Amino acid sequence: MRSKAMLWISLAMFSTAVGQKHEVLTVKGSDTMVLLAQRWAEVYMSKHPELTIQVTGGGSGTGISALINGTTDICNASRPIKPSEKQKLKQRFNSLGVEIKAARDGLSLYVNELNPVKELTLDQVRRIYLGEIANWKEVGGDDGRIILYSRENNSGTYVYFKDNILGGKDYAPNTQSLPGTAAVVNAVSKDKKGVGYGGAAYGKGIREVALKADASSQAFAPTAENVRSGKYPLTRFLFMYVRSRPAGAMKAYVDWILGDEGQSIVSSVGYFPLR
Amino acid sequence: MSRIRPLIVMAVLLIVAAQGQQDSTSEALQDQIEKLRGQLEGFQEMFAETNNAVETLKKLKFSGYVQSQFQSAQTAGIASFAGGNFPSATATRFSVRRGRLKAQYTNDLTLSRFVLQIDVTQGGVGIKDAYVSVKDPWTRFIAVTAGIFDRPFGFEISYSSSSRENPERTRLFQTLFPGERELGAKIEVLPSQMLFNGEWLSYFNLKAGFFNGTGSTTNENDSRKDFIGRLGMEFPLADINLAIDGGVSLYRGSARANSKKVYSVNDAMREFVADSTASNLGNPYDRSYLGADVQVYYDLPVLGGISVRAEYIQGSQPSTSADNKVYTSATADLYRREFRGFYVNVIQNIGVDHQVVLRYDQFDPNTQVTGANIGATATARLTEADIAYSTIGVGYIYHWDDNVKFVFYYDLVTNESVSISAPASLAPYKTDVNDNVLTFRTQFRF
Repeated sequence: MRSKAMLWISLAMFSTAVGQKHEVLTVKGSDTMVLLAQRWAEVYMSKHPELTIQVTGGGSGTGISALINGTTDICNASRPIKPSEKQKLKQRFNSLGVEIKAARDGLSLYVNELNPVKELTLDQVRRIYLGEIANWKEVGGDDGRIILYSRENNSGTYVYFKDNILGGKDYAPNTQSLPGTAAVVNAVSKDKKGVGYGGAAYGKGIREVALKADASSQAFAPTAENVRSGKYPLTRFLFMYVRSRPAGAMKAYVDWILGDEGQSIVSSVGYFPLR
Repeated sequence: MSRIRPLIVMAVLLIVAAQGQQDSTSEALQDQIEKLRGQLEGFQEMFAETNNAVETLKKLKFSGYVQSQFQSAQTAGIASFAGGNFPSATATRFSVRRGRLKAQYTNDLTLSRFVLQIDVTQGGVGIKDAYVSVKDPWTRFIAVTAGIFDRPFGFEISYSSSSRENPERTRLFQTLFPGERELGAKIEVLPSQMLFNGEWLSYFNLKAGFFNGTGSTTNENDSRKDFIGRLGMEFPLADINLAIDGGVSLYRGSARANSKKVYSVNDAMREFVADSTASNLGNPYDRSYLGADVQVYYDLPVLGGISVRAEYIQGSQPSTSADNKVYTSATADLYRREFRGFYVNVIQNIGVDHQVVLRYDQFDPNTQVTGANIGATATARLTEADIAYSTIGVGYIYHWDDNVKFVFYYDLVTNESVSISAPASLAPYKTDVNDNVLTFRTQFRF
């Protein structure tokens, strides 16, 4: 009888200890989303001190690998998960993973402020990055070789641009890969002949080129209104991926991100809310 | 005035001196800047060179894994499909089951890929993969591969041993496709999600090719090539966290008889009957398999993902009297068997680190006879190679980190009982042989 009572007390103590456990959520992935993810985490943790959210970047590919390896709880990605990555998730976790659209982004094309080129068609952008157009004068600019800047291949932005602008073809061999969109912006801001691309949140300090879907279309700048309305032709979703259907603290966090407060932070960081 | 003049002269001298000092300082600064600029340009050149080298090295990737294990068999010296037969008088053993090192060089510009994989164990070094693969530059979803690589049949072959939850493939696959690999060339059609997103074509894939048919380590012995192909389907129902994959596979080939004596089962007599026509020697005999596989994945809330994978194969196998693997002998008589087999494998993830697995598989190498026929008469020529088996495998996997996992697995093997009047060579099979195996395996993968 006494030992039974002791057992119940032990069980009660154990369940109390479990109940009070300080939870940690790890978030890893897209560098484009890292500022947004940090902001989400800061605001959410200030209201939920029982939860620690650790946010790191590294690129969408790195985040998805971490999700597959089980070393992160949430992966941020600025591109959709690839079928081969989905296959790996299936093999390791018997799950397709859960895709959560968290925000919208307008992918900007940057040129140096002194560059007279104000607008380009998507086809011109494609040909520039494939190396078929190599001089600015071919697109209405000054005479001078186009210097191409890109993200590294573990970046979701790199993959998105390759898949959606270059039609899956490879970047011109002379394209310079830089670690992070901030580095691309920095390089273009110092290079009169440079061109680069990246998220709108990083687009300050250099000029964003207005884009046309085709030669006969109107050109649109990547403004909030144009991205939200879909007029700007280079818009994409920013994703969060988790291995299984979110539950507990993770579900509460994801729901909050998709709610009004989380989406208002999306706007404050320079991206575009889902609604 | 006379007082002021020396002061003015002094001031001028001071200014000139200061100017001179300033000039020399700015000259020194200029020199320093030039020096730094030179160094920076040097670093830029070095960076460009290093970057080129890194870009080249990024095309070359190494991966691999080692599986070391301890096994305990129910009886010493048993024949086993759980990593090979146990030597006589041996019921426990340590072994390196697989020690793989894979080098892969991918050239994105020419869409070509080179793969070489070796297997290093206590038994020596063997080649597992050696192939070149080239994608078409237009659609980019058609690839041609040539060399030694996995046969494109069913699901279990292509499911990597490092990812597989069960330590070994089923008896069915180990018998039909020893070593999994084969020498040949195949075409692979993988319609891209990007081009066919949402269209019916994006759910299908095709792998098919021609192969020697004698395995990856045996030389070809005739001019006929075997066809192997699989039409695969993948239906992701992401909205309900469900995915259903599957495929149908076909093996259409032959084995060349190196004896004029060819045996087939007489259905009425339930025994092998010889055909000794002289022209049988050198003739091709049918090796045909037809298979279907399905894999269902579902995400159970809180618990984790579960998958149910099943596969069924039936067909004709040219083999020898004592062995139901495909016939490659230089002298032995050829025995034709109709076979069938299947497995059902259930894997449940529990959180991030734990998995439990349960598999049931069955293989009947000769569907035209029963256990009671085997050994009933000496003239029937039925042997151990005609005995049907079923195996229940139960296991637990613990993922220590993203490199290391531990596997505990138990194979419960049951054989068909042969005739009570069977001769001494078949006597152990009159009842179920004690050939269960416990495996404890550690794996490191990178």
